[in-house]
Order: sequence, then structure tokens, then C-alpha cells
Amino acid sequence: MASVSQTALQNLDDTSRKEIMQFVESEQSKSKVQLSIHNFTDMCFKKCNANKPITSGNLDTNEEQCLTNCLNRFLDTNIKVVQALQGTQK
Amino acid sequence: MALFGSSSSAAPAPASKSLKQEIQDQISQELAVANATELVSKITENCFEKCISQPGTSLNGQEDFCVNQCLEKYMRSWNVISRAYITRIQQSSSEK
Repeated sequence: MASVSQTALQNLDDTSRKEIMQFVESEQSKSKVQLSIHNFTDMCFKKCNANKPITSGNLDTNEEQCLTNCLNRFLDTNIKVVQALQGTQK
Repeated sequence: MALFGSSSSAAPAPASKSLKQEIQDQISQELAVANATELVSKITENCFEKCISQPGTSLNGQEDFCVNQCLEKYMRSWNVISRAYITRIQQSSSEK
């Protein structure tokens, strides 16, 4: 990987710097979403495959439903918790 | 997947334009690697747990088969969750 030299970085003009900062920000939020997806998949895969062996590489309709329900109910729970804590503060 | 940059011998860089591109490419690549690493580690964890209950001297045929199926199922699950999560984000941002 061609690493960027320090002197080259200092020669960057302001517009490029700004654009790079914006790019970094958007990449950061993208990677945050990806990380959440990793954690949700981990959690829901465990939940939806508990007590049953892996017999196929495909997802049947039940499994797919289980995964989407798992995610949506988790997010509902998250919202509930936040709302409840906001309520107690008032 | 080209992990470590494609054409390193681009035209003699007329300063900042291509340098900017270079930096952005490098950042994207590092994130892609981080994403892949995370996926590998989660799949290994889950499929090891699911498929290898009593580790032997090597992976037997059944374990090998199970790991393959599990890997496929996990990646399909990742896609389902990803789609559902993005739909949910879009819904909540359009409600405002």
C-alpha cells in the first residue's frame, strides 16, 4: 500500500483538506452502521438458530421472518428504554 | 477484490488532486478490510459454536459440511438484517 508522505500531506490545499474531512466523516458513519449490522446479525443469528442444528445454507421463510422480527423488536425495545428513561427525568 | 490498491503507477501526480484521491482510496480500503475482518471473526465464532461441539484431532466431514452451510446461512442472515435495518433507518428519518 502506497503510504502518503508527511510532506505531501502538508502541501494539500484547503479545499482538498476539507473534502477529505467530509469523506472521513461519511466513511465513519458508514462504518458505524456496518458495525451495528454485525452486532445485530450476531445476536439474531444466535437467537434464531438456538436449539436447532444448521441443516442448510439457505434461509427459509420462517428464518427470514425470525431475523427481521428480531431486529425490529430489538430496535423497538431500544426506543422504549430511551423513552422510559426520558420520562423519569421529567 | 483488490485489497491493496490497483494502479500505483498513475500519471506523475499533479499535486493535490490525485493525492486526495489516494488518501480517500486508502481510507475506503482500510474500512473494507476492517469490515471483512469483523465478518470473518463473527462467522468463525458462531459457526465454531454451532458446528464443533467436541473438537477432535481434525475437522471431520460432518463438521466441515456444517461450517460451510453455517457460513452461507450467516452471510444470508447478514444481508437480511442489513436490508431490514436500512429500511428502518429510512423510515425513522422520513417520519421527522
